[in-house]
Amino acid sequence: MDLTFTPQERAFRAEVREFVARELPPDVRRKVQAGEELVKDDMARWQTALYKQGWVAPGWPQQYGGPGWSAVQRHIFYEELAYGWAPRLPPFGINMVAPVITEFGNDAQRARYLPKILSGEEWWCQGYSEPNSGSDLAALEMRAEPRAGGYLINGTKTWITYAQYADWIFVLARTNESPKKQEGISFILVDMKSPGVTVRPIVTIDGGREINEVHLENVEVPKENLVGEEGGGWTYAKFLLEHERTGTAGIATCKRMITQVRDLAAREGDTDPRIAERIARIEIELEAIAITELRTLAAESAGKRPGPESSILKVKGTEIQQAISELALDVVGPYADAQATRMYFNFRKTSIYAGSNEIQKNIIAKRILKL
Amino acid sequence: MDFTLSAEQLMIKDSVDRYAAGNHGADDWATFAGLGWLGIGAPEELGGFGGPTETMIVMEAFGRGLVTEPYVAHVVLAGGVLSVAGRNDLLEPLVEGKRRFAVAYEEPHARYEPAAVETNAKRDGSSYVLTGRKVRVLGAAPADTLIVSARTGDDVTLFAVPSGANGLKRTSYASEDGHDASAITFENVRVGAGDMIGDSGTGLALLEAALDRATAALCAEGVGLMSVMLNMTVEYTKQRRQFGVPIASFQALQHRMAEMFMELELARSMSYVAAMTLESETEADARKRGISAAKVQIARSGRFIGQSAIQLHGGIGMSEEYKVGHYFKRMTAVERLLGDTDYHLARYIAARDARPVRELVHS
Repeated sequence: MDLTFTPQERAFRAEVREFVARELPPDVRRKVQAGEELVKDDMARWQTALYKQGWVAPGWPQQYGGPGWSAVQRHIFYEELAYGWAPRLPPFGINMVAPVITEFGNDAQRARYLPKILSGEEWWCQGYSEPNSGSDLAALEMRAEPRAGGYLINGTKTWITYAQYADWIFVLARTNESPKKQEGISFILVDMKSPGVTVRPIVTIDGGREINEVHLENVEVPKENLVGEEGGGWTYAKFLLEHERTGTAGIATCKRMITQVRDLAAREGDTDPRIAERIARIEIELEAIAITELRTLAAESAGKRPGPESSILKVKGTEIQQAISELALDVVGPYADAQATRMYFNFRKTSIYAGSNEIQKNIIAKRILKL
Repeated sequence: MDFTLSAEQLMIKDSVDRYAAGNHGADDWATFAGLGWLGIGAPEELGGFGGPTETMIVMEAFGRGLVTEPYVAHVVLAGGVLSVAGRNDLLEPLVEGKRRFAVAYEEPHARYEPAAVETNAKRDGSSYVLTGRKVRVLGAAPADTLIVSARTGDDVTLFAVPSGANGLKRTSYASEDGHDASAITFENVRVGAGDMIGDSGTGLALLEAALDRATAALCAEGVGLMSVMLNMTVEYTKQRRQFGVPIASFQALQHRMAEMFMELELARSMSYVAAMTLESETEADARKRGISAAKVQIARSGRFIGQSAIQLHGGIGMSEEYKVGHYFKRMTAVERLLGDTDYHLARYIAARDARPVRELVHS
């Protein structure tokens, strides 16, 4: 047992830190520091800088443009990005659809889609939830009717982050009626420019304009946009969700946030021992989650795929994010600071998205505790 | 970054797991000596081996098996004082199981703080005269010698005092889990200058180093206790039927158990942090920070898992005959022993602020 980093890993950390300091556009850094909403151009410029360095997709196999890092290096990389106030790149292309295409797609799809995801030439969004199908994802109603040469898609997807920026959407749609609702679902890639696709923005309680409803009305999609087997979509969907959950813990971002709250309290001359104690409690739990994440990473390096254990990180990681945002709101107190307020309302989403925390507890109960 | 155990560590784990799972008695000290467990953390020339990781392995198994021998008090805490002080002459009989030491440091007003010492050691020629009162001395009953902290002027110094010394009075009482604790008064107890442990004035540093080892050991014991309480609860709710179905099929209970599982994993991570902090930290504030953080998490997880285990067992959980309550009582003691949450939170904050720039993971 050893929780220390090797000299090589420490050198790697220094290299990443230096890169972020040099290459992150100063106006983007300032926006992230101030907690302002980012627009596409902010994230795109940062992706271009990472792309030139070969660092866009730490988790990808090297043959498709991944840097070939160990799990520990990936961890260090994400930590340093957070500490350096880099924006998070949207995960929909890089961390969601790309692993599915890599694992279950064909060579033509890998050649067609992966390079443009990596370069940022094409942006993606995720079409999972529907107005009548949230936690009960398998009850989705979107139809992809098989017809000569492809599919005719009808239905509505909702809570779609960055649909307004996306060139492509990946959807789960029903390709046949099966008595078991998990069967008959397919994973299909849809060009957002297709006739019949409309995007309607949804304003969130924090005033944010990140999410949208996407309607597909008689949208024609060629057969080659199907990923894997027709009707095999549920398996790919679950694969993607497990990848998504490990990414949502956001431990490094939390460390940065709690430091910011501590600095804020110090700046306001706050010596209230109750605040000091709340900060300490959060720091300690954060350390416990961080080590739990490292244990998962270590298991992953030993060849284990992310499994139901990633649910722990999803629940605990999002709970702590929310706890920090609550604390920030309480620390600014009477000033009702705009950034703290926005963050608090915005972060309510974290325990809902990527499989609500209640669904995660179901997964732990059923798949780990075998209840 | 490595969370695996070495081949030797796996062998220790195997033997201590077998002991803890079997029928262990009330006086297995000779067995411990025979298996070498009394030498963990002691120098090799005395027959010792290993350190914090090995202690963690032993204590987690002791937690699972609800082993009641005063291993932490005698081997980790007293042994820790003696080994940090370099007292191989006393450590050797301890490792062999021939002598047993208990540490008397806590005082009624101190609320776990080892620096708050009023017991006085007055110099009288070549000897010292001790007067004062200690509480919650663990493992005092079977100990032949007490290691006592006392004020020597402005500083604190440790002394080895025979249990049967003139003027020493010990009163036994039961702590939360029924384990023996002792209150001890010293009335003009005379010891020689040679009975000093470490140099004059080094008592607090010695104590703090040893207390951190013992606290890490308790964290590991807590993880063992919690894992059993969770397993018992899962098994019980699967077989207990109400409304015609196993109660484990109810979502309210499933979510509670999922929360218990998550708390256990966080506690396990912090028990690793405690052991690894002792393995790698040479600086006192960094060491205190890591150990106190771990104790806060273990106390929090342990309380939640313990209370939930009793609740989900229902009436049977309240029954003294049923084992889950015994684990809960031991967990409740572990939560407070060597410092409760308030104490360790304050200690964490002070140690963190003494070294403001600090990576959460040791980099």
